[in-house]
Amino acid sequence: MDEVKTGDPGIITTTLEKALTWARSNSIWPLTFGLACCAIEMMTVQSARHDISRFGSEIFRNSPRQSDLMIVAGTVTKKMAPRLKRLYDEMPYPKYVIAMGVCVIQGGPYVHGYSVVLGVDKVVPVDVYVPGCPPTPDALTYGIMTLQEKIRGEIDR
Amino acid sequence: MKEQLGESVSAVNGKDGIMVHTVAKERLFEFMKEMKEKGFDSLSLITGVDRKDYLEVVYHLHNFATDEYVEVKTTTDNGVVPSLVSLWSSARWDEREEYDLMGIKFEGHENLKRIFLPENWVGHPLRKDYNLKNIQYINMDKDGEDYATFDPGDGW
Repeated sequence: MDEVKTGDPGIITTTLEKALTWARSNSIWPLTFGLACCAIEMMTVQSARHDISRFGSEIFRNSPRQSDLMIVAGTVTKKMAPRLKRLYDEMPYPKYVIAMGVCVIQGGPYVHGYSVVLGVDKVVPVDVYVPGCPPTPDALTYGIMTLQEKIRGEIDR
Repeated sequence: MKEQLGESVSAVNGKDGIMVHTVAKERLFEFMKEMKEKGFDSLSLITGVDRKDYLEVVYHLHNFATDEYVEVKTTTDNGVVPSLVSLWSSARWDEREEYDLMGIKFEGHENLKRIFLPENWVGHPLRKDYNLKNIQYINMDKDGEDYATFDPGDGW
């Protein structure tokens, strides 16, 4: 029980790959990017109650050049799709995309509409799909944690 | 209904207690000018209704001093209605939106072009006769201008 901090760091052996992916997975900074009602749930995820900062997704960056993750939260309209593609192109590698909500995944209630892109995976490659209308903040947190596992190579899907 | 429109103005009470005036489109501008002089200083919104054999345009006016709302309806067979931009500036974008989605032409509007959809979009999507099976896609060219296309490989 007598733990005394000596300042001696000890030695951990690991591979560079593991250290890199661990660092990467625990510093995913999302892009401030909300398209529709799912964005409200995305904002809740940042709040004190659901605080994704605990998992390393520290702050929502306002510039795509400073962010690693694009959470597509809300219906992607055909008008928005070219802009979304441009924002994605401006993000530096490695970059990740979470499709949040059923509208983003396949069109949802607007599947017969004239103005809605039926699935954001037609525009940008998606890493994690979070279904729901809208998904709860817990579901999005789980989605982010799944993405972290994916970055660390613990799951291969 | 059309027989009534031959007359000048008929005013009835709507079920929610808002006065509804039905005006022939030839008299619309004159009537609206009178309404503005009566104190209705805000044009809240413009709605288009597709009744299949004719189009209906609904205007909501608001009087800030007395907090009074009023509805004005007019109908058109050929899709042409006089523009109200010279009375209320808020009509400028509202009428462009009506033109974009419903295909109603506002006579006298100085810049009547589409506001949401690209200029080469075929048809007006909120009309009853719009064909939803004929899917159109949008892409952006190098200058940042949108264009519509029928080719799914070109746009989204």
